Amino acid sequence: MGGQGVTTLDAVAVRLFEGVMAPLVLGGSVRPGDAIGVCAALALGIGASAPTTDHELLARVQKARVRRARLLVPIDDVGPPTGAEWVLAAALHDVLQAMNPRLDTAIRRGAAARLATLASHTIASVGPPKNVHEAVSRHTWLARTLDVARTDTSVSWWSGSRVFLGVDPPSRLQAWPGLRRVHVTRASRGLLELAPLAIERTILVGVLAELLARTPLTDLATCTRAVPPFGWGSATLALIATRAGRTIAMRALARLPVAEVDEALGRATRGALAKNQSGARPALELLAERAIAEAQGHVGAVTGTPLAEEAIFARRMGAATALRMLEAPDSGWPEEERVQLRMALRRAHDLRG
Amino acid sequence: MVERIALHQTRLHTPGLGLDAKGVALGAKGLVLLPSIDRLVMLLAAYTREHSLEQIAPTLAMSVVKSKLGTREITFEFAAESSDRMDRMAEIARLVGGLTFTGTSRHFVQYRDSTAPFGYDALHLLSTDAVFALYHDRFSQTYDLERRIDLRALLLRLMPRVDPSTRLDAGLRIVVVEQGLGPATVNYFVRSRVEGDVCVAEWPPESALDDSPVQRWVMRVPHLPERMQQLVHATPGITCFIPAGQGVAVESGYRHAVGLRACPVFDATGLVLLRGVGDPWVIDRMPPMAPFSTFARVEMRTEGGDAAVAVRTLPADFVRVPLRVVRSSARWRDATATCISPDQLPLLRRLAYALPRTIVAQARIAVTTLGAFVRSEAGVDSIPLGTFFVEIHPRLYVPAGYQVTPSLAPEVVARAFDAQPSQVLFIGTDGRAWTVDEGAFATLETAMLEAPAWEPVVAEAIERTLGDALIDLKVTPVGPVPRLGAGPQKWAGKA
Repeated sequence: MGGQGVTTLDAVAVRLFEGVMAPLVLGGSVRPGDAIGVCAALALGIGASAPTTDHELLARVQKARVRRARLLVPIDDVGPPTGAEWVLAAALHDVLQAMNPRLDTAIRRGAAARLATLASHTIASVGPPKNVHEAVSRHTWLARTLDVARTDTSVSWWSGSRVFLGVDPPSRLQAWPGLRRVHVTRASRGLLELAPLAIERTILVGVLAELLARTPLTDLATCTRAVPPFGWGSATLALIATRAGRTIAMRALARLPVAEVDEALGRATRGALAKNQSGARPALELLAERAIAEAQGHVGAVTGTPLAEEAIFARRMGAATALRMLEAPDSGWPEEERVQLRMALRRAHDLRG
Repeated sequence: MVERIALHQTRLHTPGLGLDAKGVALGAKGLVLLPSIDRLVMLLAAYTREHSLEQIAPTLAMSVVKSKLGTREITFEFAAESSDRMDRMAEIARLVGGLTFTGTSRHFVQYRDSTAPFGYDALHLLSTDAVFALYHDRFSQTYDLERRIDLRALLLRLMPRVDPSTRLDAGLRIVVVEQGLGPATVNYFVRSRVEGDVCVAEWPPESALDDSPVQRWVMRVPHLPERMQQLVHATPGITCFIPAGQGVAVESGYRHAVGLRACPVFDATGLVLLRGVGDPWVIDRMPPMAPFSTFARVEMRTEGGDAAVAVRTLPADFVRVPLRVVRSSARWRDATATCISPDQLPLLRRLAYALPRTIVAQARIAVTTLGAFVRSEAGVDSIPLGTFFVEIHPRLYVPAGYQVTPSLAPEVVARAFDAQPSQVLFIGTDGRAWTVDEGAFATLETAMLEAPAWEPVVAEAIERTLGDALIDLKVTPVGPVPRLGAGPQKWAGKA
């Protein structure tokens, strides 16, 4: 793929597709290479048409994307990668490359920082999804971004030991395991747990947060993550402001633990209300729909462990908003069902009224 | 006048008079004419000596009648029923100087006697409106009723006779004590361990000058000790009565003229106390009675008087003797445990291949530093190794053919060792004891077989196949100088 100083765009596209995008969807080894950079990424977004010459691989990826999308919405075709998706994939490629432990040397650390900056700029060049379909399409590519993990292997033998970060140890070191008393220990490290890093971990977390902000459905579907913490951004609020987007978001959230989702949404909603109270209305409506769904038995109730303060905030805000929605004159609920829901909401969330 | 009734005579002149099966002239009623009230009392006393008035009480009527001459006499009417009853009454009436008649309504003829065994019949009836017309071989007389005599009132009016011997009678005593003496008397009975019941009865004031009822303590003493006879008989304010029938008692030292037990005129729920001197005391309905112990003195502990608890008890060392195990002459049987010394364990291993299935399944073994203890409820005879033990108490074993001395109950021996319920106790021939924890015993079949080596085979998880494959980040070479991408002009022509 790498040429003698000249690399065609198609070659970059193939390298990006086969090395990052396909394994990101199908699973397997992600092999980031030389940094792509902003310009190449934008060029990919504009001009890449055929991602790969391996049509079988392309078909498998498309099928996996459809399967991923069908977890949330009944569609049969997700289409080829769009320009924005090429750019986001290139940015992720550069982020992953910035985490290369081989950059953790005195003369290469600057390159790692530069890669992170390039990735950030690349991401910034991509706007939020224009519609729900585009949000779903981006999600099918980047849904497993935070699942990327590196396998570090530690090999010890009778006279020494060595650690291999993200590469397979040579077979010669594992030869004659009985005689040489070889012990091989493999440990899988998550994307945000990698060490050593050539740059500050907070920079990487920030770049990943920016990346997630460009794929709001993925951002919502991984809202229970530890880092980067979930927050209501303009893209996620815009997504759930639409009826279809909120429905898909509800389905994505329904696949996560209820208490953890409540805690993450509560924390994010509290922050959004502090910044812009009127802008957080879609978030409150989402919480209200979750409360109604729980009252109707569509969402599993929380039992056992006591709820965190943020989770209680989210549930009470959702119940209060739901009551307001039910009592609104334009509420479309039948009267009998509305009364039952109001009683259930007040009873479940200990609301007076 | 009357004439004797002849044998086989069937026609009688007296109305209401007939012949019974024996041919005796008999009316519906019998009547005894008595000259005075004391003769009536005599009649009652004589009759109740051997018979009860219960049978004739429903029809009994006693009256004071007056003849045309102005003489007053007493009539004693009753249902004749049969000549036997009439004969009995006639004999008693004869004893007390009374005359016996029989009839139905108004005309009564003389009852039979030795002169006329079939009785008498009146040939000429008197034309009269009098209540009674009596025909006797010596007179015919009419009588008018002056007044009726009530049996209960008569009995209550009769003064008991002095009879000191009644004080010696055994049995129940009813002691009536004046109000002031009541509590002291009850306390005295309580202190003297005298059983009995007590109640307080009230009588109306004895005179208009009294404004409160008269209260007396009535005590029922089933067995009054002899030493208290003097107390209840000689103490002023205390009156002792002896039950003379149901619902009636007579003062001790006196006896009623009539057998009161034969007179069913007293209510069982009440009590009539017939005093030797004075009017009887009548209690219409007995108040509830309480045992004497109810009135025992009650003393409260002073505050803070908690029960004293023994701090410790001292062992009775001076009677203790060491436990010994001696040979027993009795034939031993049912050896259910054996102690196999360590040097015999190889033999046990070899024997394991020859043991029957039932023994292997039932036997339990615990391997200790002393050797292996094997227990089997079915017996250990099939394992001819070690020292056999007999279980004399649950989880207490002594060597077979030995016994413990002194001869104690097995449970006492077990208690003396103070072994935990989870421990099995073995007493050796030298008197030393060893305990083996119950949990250390494992079934012989699980203990005897060495576990063969095994190799784990991990099944492939189905979820893994259906789930997402791992995304493994591989580290690629970056070269001496990492490439950071190219400028936009490089890609312009390609796009």
